[in-house]
Amino acid sequence: MDSAIAQKTWELENNILTVETPDPSSDSIFYYDVAAQAKFQQEKPWANDPHYFKRVKISALALLKMVVHARSGGTIEVMGLMQGKTDGDAIIVMDAFALPVEGTETRVNAQADAYEYMVDYSQTNKQAGRLENVVGWYHSHPGYGCWLSGIDVSTQMLNQQFQEPFLAVVIDPTRTVSAGKVEIGAFRTYPEGYKPPDDPISEYQTIPLNKIEDFGVHCKQYYALDITYFKSSLDCHLLDLLWNKYWVNTLSSSPLLGNGDYVAGQISDLAEKLEQAENQLAHSRIGPLGPPRKKLQEESQLAKITRDSAKITLEQVHGLMSQVIKDILFNSVRQSSRSQNDQSGPEPMIET
Amino acid sequence: MASSSSSGLTFKLHPLVIVNISDHYTRVKSQLSLPPSLTSTSSAATSNNNNNNSNGGENNQNPPPRVYGCVIGVQRGRTVEIFNSFELIYDPSTRSLDRSFLEKKQELYKKVFPHFYVLGWYSTGSDAQESDMHFHKALMDINESPLYVLLNPAINPAQKDLPVTIYESELHVIDGVPQLIFVRSSYLIETVEAERISVDHVAHLKPSGGSAATQLAAQLTGIHSAIKMLNSRIRVLHQYLVGMQKGDIPCESSVLRQVSSLLRRLPAIESEKFQDDFLMEYNDTLLITYLAMFTNCSSTMNELVDKFNTTYDRHSRRGGRTAFI
Repeated sequence: MDSAIAQKTWELENNILTVETPDPSSDSIFYYDVAAQAKFQQEKPWANDPHYFKRVKISALALLKMVVHARSGGTIEVMGLMQGKTDGDAIIVMDAFALPVEGTETRVNAQADAYEYMVDYSQTNKQAGRLENVVGWYHSHPGYGCWLSGIDVSTQMLNQQFQEPFLAVVIDPTRTVSAGKVEIGAFRTYPEGYKPPDDPISEYQTIPLNKIEDFGVHCKQYYALDITYFKSSLDCHLLDLLWNKYWVNTLSSSPLLGNGDYVAGQISDLAEKLEQAENQLAHSRIGPLGPPRKKLQEESQLAKITRDSAKITLEQVHGLMSQVIKDILFNSVRQSSRSQNDQSGPEPMIET
Repeated sequence: MASSSSSGLTFKLHPLVIVNISDHYTRVKSQLSLPPSLTSTSSAATSNNNNNNSNGGENNQNPPPRVYGCVIGVQRGRTVEIFNSFELIYDPSTRSLDRSFLEKKQELYKKVFPHFYVLGWYSTGSDAQESDMHFHKALMDINESPLYVLLNPAINPAQKDLPVTIYESELHVIDGVPQLIFVRSSYLIETVEAERISVDHVAHLKPSGGSAATQLAAQLTGIHSAIKMLNSRIRVLHQYLVGMQKGDIPCESSVLRQVSSLLRRLPAIESEKFQDDFLMEYNDTLLITYLAMFTNCSSTMNELVDKFNTTYDRHSRRGGRTAFI
């Protein structure tokens, strides 16, 4: 039973927590307890601890809505609000809705335009039986990663002063489609002047050159929260059944075709970064007694570039793999009668 | 009441709508029945407590609530694509639909999704009922031929098919009286790439990030399960055909025609141009791999040279090694 051992090893390596199929009684997460929520609002345990909220739980519906909305914006940033509640040190996002504002990076308080919409929408929701309050906002960074820009940080700091508890979520729809997994990040800012006790280790992501300054200046002013997802038992059931119709789409998706522009952009960005690294390297060579710390920086710069290029390549290869598989599946049949043994089709193009 | 539709429209349903309806239903249901964990701390009446404790969280006493809402989307020619949905307020006892609410909601959604308009309505339940016709007629002044999407929230583990049915209304003459009745229509599940990835993500909770090996494993697992499905479907067809050949199953020429046309579509593409493009794409990917390999090599080389310099630095006043000859 080698496969069983292999599976166990893989699960162990990746900390796979088997999520038990939620049964109907555990749908209690969907229950909105008005009294408990009001009490929590009054107590404000987050006022004393800037690091109070550590986790975010996003419902399947909210995630779907946010990703679809972000993707529909194309290369334009879009934004919206999230509704939900709090639960100890976790913020629970039950639903999200889009705002009719185009988020441009130059608007400090884009929500001012959308307040009327927000009030109207919240009112209608409460009438329809959806009792949750707004707990955060989300916006998209198409193609340049999940982090908070300078404008975002100031917006979020303002929100955290007046609309607590509030959460900021960033989604990158382009990278989602290109990598085949959801690129999402949840953040909360530290109050002005607060120094975080230790440097949290965040997952590395590549930032394009024109944005990297903005990222670097502000990256210490906020922290990321862990994101987990949940769904109701009915959702589970429906999603399982959905797979019966969905497998066609999985097989027929062609990530290479859809992402040509994005990949080209990434590669040219990488080329620029390489040039920059080269220039820095050349300068440091002039003084051979340059401080060793500077050299370390360039080295890590080059290492970063290598990692980025590896990531781009990986995505491309994955896309190509699915193309080759589809070709073998659907193109290798010949009209004339073939013997049962001759199943190989066209010769595989590479010997790996 | 459930004969098949003859309108000839193709319906495309997005998974977002299904998740939306399910979420609406779950919320309403959980709001009505207090979960047992909260009954001890809440100040609900003791009779409620007893009720819920004996049920163990399930609402056995009352029938599951029905929720109502509106579906929106686009109709292009003969294809109707349902993208999104929102809740509506409807009182089944008085059979009154809250009009102002509907209009308000429509306005709000028009601002964010200017292309979508009301296509019909949805509800939960096991089968379409007579009373639904009233709602249907009420919606007819917004859209002359609304759709009715019905979701069956009963979880049945043996079920293989999605418990979602789409009904249209048709004017049939029954006993000499023209009446509107519901007729069932078939539908397809349509999706965009981003939707598919997020549904996949939530449904299977794939590991995110991690080393290249895990990503590869995740990618291949996805394709593998899709191919497994394809294989099982082909087997079913094959068995059916074998049965037909033996004579166990009566011959049905329409099915045979469909199977034959399916088979004749293989190979999918077999032109020179496709091969050229395909090989070019292949070469491009190989080129990118080559480039990445180069970058990796030069980075490693750079590190090596620096380490070498640091170790064997002649100018360094730190004693130790002399130049290695």
